[in-house]
Amino acid sequence: MDLSPVTEALAVKSFDKIADICDNLMLQVASEGISFHDDWPYFYNLLGYFYVDDCDSARFLWKTIPTSVKESKPEVVAAWRIGQRLWTRDYAGVYEAIRGYDWSPEAKDMVAAFSDVYTKRMFQLLLSAYSTIAIRDLALFLGMTEDDATTYVVENGWTVDTASQMVTVKKQAVKREQKVDSSKLQRLTEYVFHLEH
Amino acid sequence: MSTVEAVITSIQGLSASSGDLYALHDVLKGAVDSLRTDSELQLSTLDQLDPSKHSLGYLYLLDVLTYGPVSKEKVLLIARFINACDAVQIRLASEKFVSLCKRFKDKVLELRDPLLGVAPLLAAVRKVQVSTKRLTALHPDCLQLCLLAKCYKAGFSVLSDDILEVDQPREFYLYCYYGGMICIGLKRFQKALELLYNVVTAPMHIVNAIALEAYKKYILVTLIHSGQFSISLPKCASTTAKSSFKTWCTPYIEVGMRYNDGKISELEAVVVANSSDFEKDNNLGLVKQAVASLYKRNILRLTQKYLTLSLQDIANMVQLANAKEAEMRVLQMIQDGQIHALINQKDGMVRFLEDPEQYKTSEMIEIMDSVIQRTIGLSKNLIAMDESLSCDPLYLGKVGRERQRYDFGEDFDTVPQKFSM
Repeated sequence: MDLSPVTEALAVKSFDKIADICDNLMLQVASEGISFHDDWPYFYNLLGYFYVDDCDSARFLWKTIPTSVKESKPEVVAAWRIGQRLWTRDYAGVYEAIRGYDWSPEAKDMVAAFSDVYTKRMFQLLLSAYSTIAIRDLALFLGMTEDDATTYVVENGWTVDTASQMVTVKKQAVKREQKVDSSKLQRLTEYVFHLEH
Repeated sequence: MSTVEAVITSIQGLSASSGDLYALHDVLKGAVDSLRTDSELQLSTLDQLDPSKHSLGYLYLLDVLTYGPVSKEKVLLIARFINACDAVQIRLASEKFVSLCKRFKDKVLELRDPLLGVAPLLAAVRKVQVSTKRLTALHPDCLQLCLLAKCYKAGFSVLSDDILEVDQPREFYLYCYYGGMICIGLKRFQKALELLYNVVTAPMHIVNAIALEAYKKYILVTLIHSGQFSISLPKCASTTAKSSFKTWCTPYIEVGMRYNDGKISELEAVVVANSSDFEKDNNLGLVKQAVASLYKRNILRLTQKYLTLSLQDIANMVQLANAKEAEMRVLQMIQDGQIHALINQKDGMVRFLEDPEQYKTSEMIEIMDSVIQRTIGLSKNLIAMDESLSCDPLYLGKVGRERQRYDFGEDFDTVPQKFSM
């Protein structure tokens, strides 16, 4: 079994591509009748799904992993523990699951990358959902100590009220492209043409 | 020269141009019966052929060789052939190709290795399909394997085309039913509803099991997606469906009715009372999702009534344990884009907002554009269908006869006039 596409993507840290690469490779390998379960990079496959926020696929993959593999590869089980927390939206639990296992040196990179992406995702969520939030909760959502979390958000312009231990969220003005190019005019003409005929 | 040798020679000689292929096809059709009884034809015979160059001939020989019990070796041989074969050649004998693929699917299921068949059947669908609008006999099989192998994403890729041409109703039922299940698995409830709706409203004279199971899922997905249950079936459903579906789905209808009342505890009681039925139908998970969606539905109702509300009030009104749980529910809904709101932890309040989308960004214009394009395509198809129907002698004959029967005068005209659009 040739897993080089996966290892190559891992080598250049294209973590967002891992899930797709694994999907295609698995279908191909399976259609050749190779029994791949024992050597399949389930750990990276699962993390690849987490990385692109596709918890559904991760859950389906977990269901297809043979028990023998689950018993012999504790790291895969540990990865799924993250998945369970994502699945139940136990926001703080995700970080606990990440910290709760001593990842192998090869695995560490991708776990750290996922952790970063997840923190950013959480930051965006807080940004869109809260106007004020307690520092204690903030730390849980971002998976940091309270001090680190406040520093992190203050850098983004949020303000801290030490008396009430609350943080006020500062909305970022999202700049969006509004310019319309001439090809759109062409299409509008086509629509009008269609409606009149 | 023996039959096998003669056939091999013809295949090797006549696989290049389209004219040759027609001639070859006749040779093969003539030789099929004698090949079936010819002990000289062995698996090793195929080594003389190239599956991608001699696809048509390879297909005929492989078909003969894979009758009866099949070893895993042969299954893999079919898989390799499906991946390698030339689409133009196999379309000349598409029925044979389809039956080979169906046999392949059955063998894969016997081997209890559905994943083995997913990639070959994905390829087979694309190869046998003349246009992306057309449903093939292999679509349902492909989706079934994807479901069994839990390859939901791969299955979803099959569902992306709009299907407009169908040969066999059964294929279409199964395609929509399995497709609906794939979408449910991926939580694409709108698409799932679309597909299941097609089965529920399909013309039928006798109730069939596929449509019935589809209706059960249809009820549950409607609850999850649109948050209300309607006891009557969609208007365009057949009279058969309207009169008999309900008697077979009483537990589901009860869930729908309780859901409409909006009381979680009553809904849960109904679910517990009927849980063995739901389990038997393999729908218990979906039922639970429907129950969970009632919390969301109730919160959504609040957003239409109030501008700001305390978390404690939300918890009381939606029957949640405490303010923290209400906060988490609201947060999840914001994360899923179902509501727009701001949680103020300091005062324990939630402020509900309008949808911030102003429909003037380039991305949004792209989305609207693609929807318009799709609609234009659809209306063109509809016009074409209408035109072909209004020129169909059979249809005109029937409508003409009925017209005489109901001829009430000049201003009553049942023959559709071609209208301009």
